[in-house]
Amino acid sequence: MIGTQVLAARNAVTQQVRALSNFIEDQDPTALAVVSVMTGALLVAFAGFLSVSSLAIVPFSIFVVAAGYGWLNHQGLTARMLTFAMTVGTILILLLITVFIFVESIPVFVYESTTVFGISVPGLRMFTQAEWDAVSPPIRYSMVPMIHGTVMVTLIATAVAAPLGISAALFLSEIAPATLREAVKPGVEILAGIPSIVYGFIGFTILSPWAADQFRTTGQGSYLFVGIVVGLMALPTVVSVAEDALSSVPESMKSGSLAMGTTDWQTMASITIPAAFSGVSAAVLLGVGRAIGETMAATVMLRGVPQLTKPLYNAFYGQSTLTSLIANNYGEADGLQMDALFAAGVILFITVLAISVGSQYIEWRMRRKLGGEN
Amino acid sequence: MSKTTSTTETDRTDTERVGTTTGETDEHVRDEWRDYSFDAPTKIGVEDLDVYYGDDHALDGVSMDIPEQSVTALIGPSGCGKSTFLRCLNRMNDRVSSARIDGSVTLDGQEVYQEGVNLVELRKRVGMVFQSPNPFPKSIRENISYGPEKHGDIDTGLLARVLGRSDEAAREDLVEQCLRDAALWDEVADRLDDNALGLSGGQQQRLCIARCLSVHPEVILMDEPASALDPIATAKIEDLIAELSQEYTVVIVTHNMQQAARISEQTAVFLTGGELVEYGDTDQIFEDPESDRVEDYITGKFG
Amino acid sequence: MAGAAETRLVSGDTSRSNAVAAAAVALAAVLFVTSLAALFEVITISDPFAGVPVVTVLGGTLSLLGVAVITFGVGSYVGAVETEPSRSAGLVAAVVFGVVWFAVGGAVTSRVLGIGGVAWAFVALLTGAVASAVTAVPREDIGSTLPAGAVTLLAGMTFLTGSVGPAWVWELEFEQQASLTAEFAIPVVTLFCALLAGWAAAKAYGGFGARGRKMGAYLLIYLNAGSIVSVLFILIAFTAFRGIPGLLNGTEFGLGTGPTVFGFALPVSIPFVMHGVSLFNDFQGVLPAIAGTIWLVVGAVLFAVPLGVGAAIFLTEYAERGRFTQVVEVATNGLWSTPSIVFGLFGFAFLIPRFGGGKSLLSGMLTLGFMLLPLVLITSREAMLAVPDEYRDASAALGVSKWQTIRSVVVPAALPGVVTGVILGVGRIAGETAPILLTMTGGTFVPGERTVDVIGGFEFVSTPPFVANPELLRATTALPFQLYALITAGVGLGDNVSSPTEFQWATALVLLLVVLSFYAIGIGARYYFRRKLDYE
Repeated sequence: MIGTQVLAARNAVTQQVRALSNFIEDQDPTALAVVSVMTGALLVAFAGFLSVSSLAIVPFSIFVVAAGYGWLNHQGLTARMLTFAMTVGTILILLLITVFIFVESIPVFVYESTTVFGISVPGLRMFTQAEWDAVSPPIRYSMVPMIHGTVMVTLIATAVAAPLGISAALFLSEIAPATLREAVKPGVEILAGIPSIVYGFIGFTILSPWAADQFRTTGQGSYLFVGIVVGLMALPTVVSVAEDALSSVPESMKSGSLAMGTTDWQTMASITIPAAFSGVSAAVLLGVGRAIGETMAATVMLRGVPQLTKPLYNAFYGQSTLTSLIANNYGEADGLQMDALFAAGVILFITVLAISVGSQYIEWRMRRKLGGEN
Repeated sequence: MSKTTSTTETDRTDTERVGTTTGETDEHVRDEWRDYSFDAPTKIGVEDLDVYYGDDHALDGVSMDIPEQSVTALIGPSGCGKSTFLRCLNRMNDRVSSARIDGSVTLDGQEVYQEGVNLVELRKRVGMVFQSPNPFPKSIRENISYGPEKHGDIDTGLLARVLGRSDEAAREDLVEQCLRDAALWDEVADRLDDNALGLSGGQQQRLCIARCLSVHPEVILMDEPASALDPIATAKIEDLIAELSQEYTVVIVTHNMQQAARISEQTAVFLTGGELVEYGDTDQIFEDPESDRVEDYITGKFG
Repeated sequence: MAGAAETRLVSGDTSRSNAVAAAAVALAAVLFVTSLAALFEVITISDPFAGVPVVTVLGGTLSLLGVAVITFGVGSYVGAVETEPSRSAGLVAAVVFGVVWFAVGGAVTSRVLGIGGVAWAFVALLTGAVASAVTAVPREDIGSTLPAGAVTLLAGMTFLTGSVGPAWVWELEFEQQASLTAEFAIPVVTLFCALLAGWAAAKAYGGFGARGRKMGAYLLIYLNAGSIVSVLFILIAFTAFRGIPGLLNGTEFGLGTGPTVFGFALPVSIPFVMHGVSLFNDFQGVLPAIAGTIWLVVGAVLFAVPLGVGAAIFLTEYAERGRFTQVVEVATNGLWSTPSIVFGLFGFAFLIPRFGGGKSLLSGMLTLGFMLLPLVLITSREAMLAVPDEYRDASAALGVSKWQTIRSVVVPAALPGVVTGVILGVGRIAGETAPILLTMTGGTFVPGERTVDVIGGFEFVSTPPFVANPELLRATTALPFQLYALITAGVGLGDNVSSPTEFQWATALVLLLVVLSFYAIGIGARYYFRRKLDYE
């Protein structure tokens, strides 16, 4: 079994190599030379850029000149190489983001090590105690208060965005007459376009003082209202992805149900939504991802003090989220504290990436189920 | 039986809409089949039915009476409006927002296109089977019991089970009965909980027929039910249709003329422009059509 | 045959009973709007309305609504009204009403009777269970009206009798003190009851059964869609209303009043968008921030569009569809959902040390470019995949090379999709604050003469990298950052700005206008292209 797999893999590789060598043989030698120069120059330039060298400009200029020459004389191959380089560049950016954020956060993970059963676990103390103090010893960089804040905001935002978003998606894809849809759909898109700082500004100047007055809290800033605002901001994401999922349910299935004499609503509730269930849950997941990553509204509306609320479910007070921690403290932070901000970034990055990959997997499975076996 | 209305005739003097080959002879031929009367009482009566999709005139003044407990085939080239006609009978065209429908369709003498019609009731009585099999992505059992559950005739939901008034037994009977009627029981009896999408195309289509039977319709509309199936599955469906016509009024759209000749008692021929050119006994239509255009179409010269 | 006689094809005349249910729905709608108005203090609940306090009017209307809903349900049950109820209101309704009555029972025992501890939970559970049973066991007409009507009636009576009046406060005994006040609780309870009773009335209007459920669900769905659109409208209208005075401060019309552009003096002068901040200005403005935003967008587009479109071409046209393209797709989607502040951190760690060690416009451009890149890639790829293979085959069959085919067939056909996607993406990044916070922005109030001039800033130097542009390497400002700085720095930013609040709102309005105009162009472009395709 494994043997055949290895054999198949080897066959695939040799095929690829043969295809590549055939491809190279087919090309004009000068074109190949130009492309090789481009590749080499670009690699050197990238290496130079990574090592913070001003000299990186030299190989980059060579690349530009070679690309210009290639474009004029061997356009096909040059274009192919250029587009390939662009693809690699895109992937590199993702890799660079991952690497740089991780690397910058290492010192704080080391600093916050705890010994468990005689083994030193780096970073564990960030999650086992709830103290953040960057000024007076003992200096502690706990992520617990911020994680608590992010969870609170995300829960409230999801409670707002998921039902409203799914209902709006149903409206757009199944219920609304064509003219109404043409009016509501751009509206939802524009809602997505309003900058988060504008939401934050309105929240800060109107909602926060109002909430402080209504609930008689000490000072302004509550997870409840940040959650509602962030939910509003995550709403368009949920609507558009869920609408795609609902519209991808084949019309024939819906007609089949309607021809049985069921009402539109019964068809939606029993056929369309169950068939699109995975796509709709992917939409909610993506909305959750947006809510977790939302920065500016949380930054301006929260108190910015890295603490837990008391009691933990007291949503009328809002302290700090992972995102607002970074935005609030990047200015005066340096050394270990800056690294702690990067650690918050790492947590955000991993969580949201996992959510994104998870929702893509769910969507992929749904497409296969509806499209493949039918 | 419907009476000829002269107004629609005079409208149709332009030869453009009528095939260029036989445009001249068309006028007087059209009237003759209307005198034809069937023995059985009328189930569905259609009078001067016009359908427009936007500016597109999809059905042009169609009038015909469909007799009870028989198979009526609608044939014609693609785009001639036969599917549109079929979808008017259970008002599925209401789903198309650009469609505009004029004229009258009656079911047992009751007007279908009037204010206050209960679409649930109409579609329960006039069932439909679609061109390509469209089972729901649920188990075979749930596919059959879907209609009755939605209409509140049986209830096996969680709540009903908690309250101890679940109709499991009634459902099992219904599922078996419908699957037997659709000649599918022997093939799926031991896997009723499997997903219906795992069945073969022909089985799926018979499942759709069984699903349609589950709400005890009086009329079954079939829109080219065998066009996506292989010959063996097609033969099974055809046998089933013959069986069903003992009890139900079947109206079937097909582009396969042999099929129409094999299974139907009456045949209606639609030609381009959405007009009903000839309607009568299947034998007569295929052996001795009144209209030259129909003859051309059947012998393959036109359409 | 079976089923024919059970129900008639045409339903009978139910217009009179329908009118009652419709009136109840309308009443619920009025209550919904009123409670929203009360919540946002357009109406004060203690103020008199026609001589009676608003809270009493609300209580009376709620009671009326509750009674109407119950009456309709009972009337349907005894057969006075023609309906087609199902056997049960269903599981979802049972759960919802169970939870609602759990809360009601709990609130009444703890607040009114003053019982705490286990007894509280016991009573709450009991009421919840009873409500669930009342919903689930009887026929649908009772099950869906009685619990909803009763809760509405109870709330109405509470307000009417003054048990909960304008002075009511519930001190939540939290360590960080907070309380529920009447001015919050009364509108919210009214809102909630209006929704419940409105739903029940809509079901009644549909005659219960399948049609009734559809009515109930559609009422909520339409309400939701309407609310979303109104929120959008209110947000924009409110910002415009508050921002226009500041924006138009000192506006002058007339020949020669405006600044000189390309040798012509503009016939209008709007100081807010045409000046920076300076001691000698009569009116202060945000011109440097506008210029900063424009250059940011230009830089990000110049970086991301060629890269993204190129990568999309490779992935769609050259690469074999398989593991590799799949990984790239997952990665780009992941990159697209990465929080903007993470991009900011990355720019801070990666770009700043490579561009002179300080915050700079160039770092900001590239950071936003990184953010824009995945969107450009995703939309371009979608647009190219949508180009039918027949076009490629037709071109290839004529002996045209692959690259020529891409250049002259695929890219032009995909262009509308790409352009629309890019414009919408630009709208998004133009409003981003978090990434530029860490990479680009310096002071808030930049004088007008420091408006960035990238083109004029290029110069050649003798040391590597031989080309320098101090304008690109200098920290600057942009509209979203300016708004952020105005918020965090608070009011009283110096004597230069006469009215800080007006200045803030005007900045928000300008930012909104810039971003929304990108969206308007993007959406307009999509309509234009779609229309063109439709009629071609």
